[in-house]
Amino acid sequence: MRNFIYVFSFCAVLLSSCVEYHPYDTHIAGQTNVNAKNIALIEEQCMGKREVKFAVVSDSQRWYDELEDAVESINERDDIDFVLHTGDLTDWGLRSEFEIQRDILNSLNVPYVCLLGNHDCLGTGYKIFREVFGELNVSFTAGNVHFVCLNTNSLEFDATDAVPNFGFIRAEYSNLPAQSEKTVVAMHSYPYSDQFNNDVAPMFQEYLRKFPNLQFCVHGHGHRYRREDIFGDGVYYYECPNVGSDAYLVFTINDVGYEYKKVDL
Amino acid sequence: MSIRKLIYRLFLSLLAVCFPILVSANSGSGDNRLSSNSRNHTNYQGWERMIPTHIKLQYAGGMGLLSAGIGWDYGRKNRWETDIMVGFLPKAYSDRFHMTFTLRQNYIPWSVNITPQLALEPFACGVYGNIITGERFWLKEPERYPGAKSYYKFSSRLRFHLYIGQRLTLFMNEESMLKALSLYYELSMNDLMLISRINNRTLKLSDVVHFSIGVKAQLFGD
Repeated sequence: MRNFIYVFSFCAVLLSSCVEYHPYDTHIAGQTNVNAKNIALIEEQCMGKREVKFAVVSDSQRWYDELEDAVESINERDDIDFVLHTGDLTDWGLRSEFEIQRDILNSLNVPYVCLLGNHDCLGTGYKIFREVFGELNVSFTAGNVHFVCLNTNSLEFDATDAVPNFGFIRAEYSNLPAQSEKTVVAMHSYPYSDQFNNDVAPMFQEYLRKFPNLQFCVHGHGHRYRREDIFGDGVYYYECPNVGSDAYLVFTINDVGYEYKKVDL
Repeated sequence: MSIRKLIYRLFLSLLAVCFPILVSANSGSGDNRLSSNSRNHTNYQGWERMIPTHIKLQYAGGMGLLSAGIGWDYGRKNRWETDIMVGFLPKAYSDRFHMTFTLRQNYIPWSVNITPQLALEPFACGVYGNIITGERFWLKEPERYPGAKSYYKFSSRLRFHLYIGQRLTLFMNEESMLKALSLYYELSMNDLMLISRINNRTLKLSDVVHFSIGVKAQLFGD
């Protein structure tokens, strides 16, 4: 009888990990709260560094093969400190999509941080994202560079949710770690795109410019590589091409300035 | 409720009611000849064919944590089955409590008697459509999205699933109202993950196939 109970509970546990109550259920299998764990690693590994090098991948929804290729390519080099994913891990916001994308990104040799894309909000996607990766606005400091990752997908949220969240940005000013001399802002949807709350775009830019030594902004959503001074004020917005176009970006920030490179697979 | 929604719901209900009747009407002549098969249990005539022949209870399978429903089996050797299921997704596994509604068509070609009381149905397959309640799920996307064409090009409310599975059936006493009890499991895949699987060689089947289990109680007949 006892053996039977053991076997039964073993099977029950095994099977409960491969059931789906609904494609949009939030019954996450595997790792959760990925961003917080990875941020701790990034901050620890980059502590004291004056040169930070990171890769950006974006819009990998339904491009599993291509994401695997990008991960492989990043793993082949040993100069990258961490990877930023600027959103749209999923096409439809399904739990399976988040889990599979997370598992592919987990095979990176370096820690990574994921941002919320507009597709990731669909159905209960925003909630699944929050459980698998973490808060929708997040920041961290790698070496002497502060990274601010913002949810900018205003079209997917009601007016009761602050998107972009100016309160979060203001709180960032007062909580900046002593070592952060420069700032990089990452987001999915960019100012004046169809998702952005364009009425507040100029104010958003004013807020970003208050960050110490703002280097540039990096975003996804448009699926093609672009470098644009959107507001004509010298702050460049770099659009990371989607993973499906077999490319990713690499940025190096050091005492001289910053460099960027588009890597084609 | 919009006209479109009303028509959609009426269509689904009509389909659910009419399909079993039509099919069993066409195949009714074979009933007596095949009555030696233990799975061939109904002798309903005329309007009686509308009486559901079984009830089901299912765990998981994309139609809720638990779902329950009624159904009809019909056709030669009762190889065909249509189910209507109602399920729920509790708040603990979602953003809030949701109901789900499922229309499922099953095909169970073989029944192999292991003992006079016990039969194995080594292969079952089917397709089901499922809709879920809640304003975050839509059939047609909300008007907030810009552009003349669809922004996301899919419906988050309606999902189709394909499945294969097996069943084990225990036949009860002929006199009992419960004629038979089947335990079944299904391996299902939804339409969106099927599309993803087709386009990505690196996606494993285990990434996109999900397990569900259920019980079918065969009622009435004779």
